[in-house]
Amino acid sequence: MADTERYPGAPDDSAEAAALAALLGRCGQGDRAAFRRLYDLESKRLYGLALRITRQPALAADAVHDALLQAWERAALFDPGRGSVAAWLTGLVRYRAIDAMRKRAREVTGIDLPDEADETPGALERLSASAAGEALRRCLSTLEQHQRRVIVLAFVDGLSHAELAVRLESPLGTVKSWIRRGLQALKACLEA
Amino acid sequence: MSDSPDDPDLLAAEYVLGTLDPATARRVAARSATDADLRRAIAAWEERLHPLSAMADEAAPPDALWRRLAGSIETGAPIDSGATVMRRSVAGRAWRSLPVWRASTVAGLALAAGLAAFIVLRPPPALPVAALLPSGSAAPAYMAQLQPDGMLRVFALRQAVVASDKDLELWALPRGASAPIPLGVLPAGGRAVVASNVSANGTQLLISLEQKGGSPTGRPQGPVLYAGTLHEVD
Repeated sequence: MADTERYPGAPDDSAEAAALAALLGRCGQGDRAAFRRLYDLESKRLYGLALRITRQPALAADAVHDALLQAWERAALFDPGRGSVAAWLTGLVRYRAIDAMRKRAREVTGIDLPDEADETPGALERLSASAAGEALRRCLSTLEQHQRRVIVLAFVDGLSHAELAVRLESPLGTVKSWIRRGLQALKACLEA
Repeated sequence: MSDSPDDPDLLAAEYVLGTLDPATARRVAARSATDADLRRAIAAWEERLHPLSAMADEAAPPDALWRRLAGSIETGAPIDSGATVMRRSVAGRAWRSLPVWRASTVAGLALAAGLAAFIVLRPPPALPVAALLPSGSAAPAYMAQLQPDGMLRVFALRQAVVASDKDLELWALPRGASAPIPLGVLPAGGRAVVASNVSANGTQLLISLEQKGGSPTGRPQGPVLYAGTLHEVD
C-alpha cells in the first residue's frame, strides 16, 4: 500500500490518502526511505503551490523545505483522525509561504499578479479530478462571483485583504465581507 | 457560524485561507495549542479548502531541495530558512544572556553557533530555551526550546550513543514540583518535538536513561544524564 503510485487526476483519492498516511507513519519511526517516497509523491504539488504564492523559486524552496522538515519532526504526533496528510502538508507549506510574503510586505502596485486561478483553462478541471475537489467545485459555483474569486485568490495565490482589495478594485471592508460570507456559504453547501 | 469577528469557526476559516493579519494569525496558532475545538476547526477547514491546491500548476522543485532536506534531517539542522539579519541580532542578544555563554571553551563557542542558529527558529518574541548539560560539565548535549504553539522542540548537539536495549527519556520538572512529568522517549538522532504543558520560566528538563520504550512507571527509573532549566532569554 505504501508503494501505491500517485495517479494525477484519479477520481478516487482514497488509495492515495492511505498511501500518504502509511508513509507518514513510517516517517514517525525515523524511516528515511519513507520520507523520500513522501517527497517524491508530494513535492511537485507543494512546490508548485509555494511557487504560485511566493512567485520566487528561493522562497518557494524555503517554504517546502521548512514545511517538510516540520512534517518529518512531527510525523509521530500526526493524528490520522484530524484529516488527510495531504491537507496537513498543504497547510504547512501555505502558512510558511504566505508568512514569507507578508514579511516581505510586498508592494501591491508593483506586483505582476498572475492570471487568476479560476479563469485559467484546465484549473477547474483539475479541481474536479478528485472527489473532494469536485464537491468543492460544485459548492464554489453556488457562491456569488466575488465571493468565489476572493476565496480562490486568497487560497491559491496567497493574496492578503489589501491585495484582494486592489485586485478587485473594491473597498477593504467589502472584500472582508465577501470572504466571510463566501466561507460561510461554502461550509453550508459542503455540509448539506 | 455567526458573522461575529470572534466566531471561532470563522477565525479558523480565515486562518486557513491565509487572510488574517500576521499578528492575529500568530495568536490563532498559539491558541490552537491549548484549544482543541479551534484545532479541530482549523483541521476541518484545511480539509475543506485543500482541493484548491490543485488549481496551482505542479512544478518540479530543484534537485538541490531534496539534498538540502536530506541534509537537514541527517544533521538535525534547525528550521531556519526565514533567518534574517534582524533575527540573527535577536539571537545574538539572547545568546549573551545565557549563563552557559560564560564557559569560554571551544565547546562553548561551537555551541554558540548552534544556539544562534537554533534561536533563529521563530523569533521574535524570544522563546524560552534550555541547554541540557551532563552533570559536572559545561558542554551542553541537548538544546530545548518552547515553541509558540506550546510544543517543546529538542535536539542533540552531538551524537549520543545508547545501548540497543535502552532509550533516553525526556522529563519536565516544573518549578516547585516534586515529581517530573514524562514527555516521551527521544528518538535515535536526538530530535523531537513533544507536546508539553510546561510553563516557560524555571521548568527543569531532564533526560534519563531508561529501559527500551521508556520508564514503565511514569517516574525516572534510570540515572538522569542531562539536565537544564528553561529560561526566557530576552
